[in-house]
Amino acid sequence: MLPGGIFNTKYEADAAIFRTRLQWIVLGLLLVLVFTLPVWTSNYWLAWFTRLAITIIAVLGLHVLTGLCGQISIGHAAFVGVGAYAVAILTVKSGLNGWVCLPISAIAAGVVGLFFGLPCFRLKGFYLAISTLAASYIIVWCFEYFESVTGGFSGLPLEPLTLGGIDFSGRGSFYVLAVIILVAATFFAKNIQRTAAGRAFVAIRDNELAAEVSGIAIFRYKMLAFFIDCLFAGVAGWLWAYSQLRVNPDQFSLMDSMWYLGMIIVGGWGSTSGVFFGAFFLKLLEILLSDYINPWLTDILPSSWTQQIHVAMSLIVFGLVIIGFMIFQPRGIYYLWERFKINYRFHPYSFFST
Amino acid sequence: MDTFLRAFIEGLLLGGVYALIVLGVVVVAKATQIINLAYGGMLMFLTYFLWWLLVPMGLPLAAGLILMFIAAALMGLAVDRFMMRRLIGRPEAGLVTFLGTLILGFSVIHGFAILFFKGKPEVLPKIFPEGTISIGSLTFPYTWLYACIIGVLMFIVFVLYFRLTKSGLAMRCVSEDHMVSQSLGISVKRIFAYAWIVGALSAAIAGLLWGSMFAVESNMGGLAMMRALPVLLLAGLTSLPGAFVGAVLVGLAESLAGTYIDPHVTGFREVLPYIMMVVILIILPNGLFGTKAIRRI
Repeated sequence: MLPGGIFNTKYEADAAIFRTRLQWIVLGLLLVLVFTLPVWTSNYWLAWFTRLAITIIAVLGLHVLTGLCGQISIGHAAFVGVGAYAVAILTVKSGLNGWVCLPISAIAAGVVGLFFGLPCFRLKGFYLAISTLAASYIIVWCFEYFESVTGGFSGLPLEPLTLGGIDFSGRGSFYVLAVIILVAATFFAKNIQRTAAGRAFVAIRDNELAAEVSGIAIFRYKMLAFFIDCLFAGVAGWLWAYSQLRVNPDQFSLMDSMWYLGMIIVGGWGSTSGVFFGAFFLKLLEILLSDYINPWLTDILPSSWTQQIHVAMSLIVFGLVIIGFMIFQPRGIYYLWERFKINYRFHPYSFFST
Repeated sequence: MDTFLRAFIEGLLLGGVYALIVLGVVVVAKATQIINLAYGGMLMFLTYFLWWLLVPMGLPLAAGLILMFIAAALMGLAVDRFMMRRLIGRPEAGLVTFLGTLILGFSVIHGFAILFFKGKPEVLPKIFPEGTISIGSLTFPYTWLYACIIGVLMFIVFVLYFRLTKSGLAMRCVSEDHMVSQSLGISVKRIFAYAWIVGALSAAIAGLLWGSMFAVESNMGGLAMMRALPVLLLAGLTSLPGAFVGAVLVGLAESLAGTYIDPHVTGFREVLPYIMMVVILIILPNGLFGTKAIRRI
């Protein structure tokens, strides 16, 4: 829906993502704000924003697979783990430069993903979901038991990343790096929707049979979606490894995969802004829980409960929030935002829009 | 030869227990076409509940079991009434219910179990007679044998229920087509509620057996679920005999792998069910006993 008084008079205008001057100004301000964050925020929040950026990169991949192509991956965190372990192993064991590892981790995650994506050429529905569920366990098991390569349960430490004279071990510089990659990833994900492949994904999501009859090679496009998903996961894993400077198996558990999916559900299926809403919402909830709700609960509940409150509350609250969104607002926060925008644009005549 | 025989019998006994675990999932899947991934979580929560009733509260066994079954029935009803009934019937219901049960089982119920019962490994008091049974030169704990027998008995009861009773027939009818059943006078809502209650009760029994064989811990639900999934895939999701054969096959595979491969590759036994899932999905997507779905264009 275009804002009032704006008409597309050229083909370029029709194809543009940002159509009005206001949108460009907002985008510019937002970018300036995001990139100057290290100057005026505390280290605590900077670390939070870095984690948020990495999470959004991972969820953008899932968005291509789940939001656009309609397939579900419950092993996303494990594929992030493949990326992280790829860079850790290559830099520690064979002394490769960290920057060279960026494409390698992406491809490694993609190739491992392709193997587990094989079942999706059989039947539709939850088969890919079950296969990726198995993948999440198999991959984490590999991290734990191939000790000579992966360091077993204790994991592997990494050397901080450097480029020329810049040392990326500082919070600020690493944050900027993560955001640069985030912007690139968002640009990429947003534009996938507008290519032939992206339209094929959406066709498969909306009606597989109709897509097949229209000449879309279902298997190839599903695999492509899954491969792209895993590429994003690999890049997120690369960043994750350097943000923690250590990889170990329990950073990539089934729970994390479920939260990634939860972000898609909470944000809204099928839109890049939904990914941002969802990730922001759940990450904010996480910090709200750990900083405000859990200490408060620790105070009011008997002291024998204090040990488990932290773990238990995050499981319960996250789960209930995601299920609540499934039941009451299946189109997610994105839909609320869109409705707000439409109502605003039509302001005196808001009742025309639904 | 002795090791082989031991592994073989152990696998058969394990298979009986797996069959019972899968049964609850199959009953729900048959009636409502929902793969209940929350089953493992329910099993774990109910077993912890039983432990809590028996050990910290000190109730007698009979009272503990009755309370556990009541809790199971209520749990099944609640899941059906407050969650599933709102999710089914949407265009993308298959994936949403799949995700919903996954998050319910692995996150919400898991979280509550950790909150209430601290999530530490606990041991159930002895429910079955102690001691071991010896077959030739091999010995097995009685518990395993009982678990297997109860699994087989429950299985027979379920098969008879589906074959012989009216509500079993209604359940099969509902699984074919909700709308037709509704118009034939079958209360689909009630059948769904029955299915969830039966599913939760069988989770309670499976938890009882699993808890008396191994420790009660917070990730037992996930472990049970991950054994159940390859069985389900082998069985083709809705076939009861298939579930039984699949369970025995998976039990055998696990126990043989544990005996012969574990010494060379540590921990292989744990990862085998997942490898089986992927392999079955690639090679036999309809399972051994599943019906190949025919789509009308």
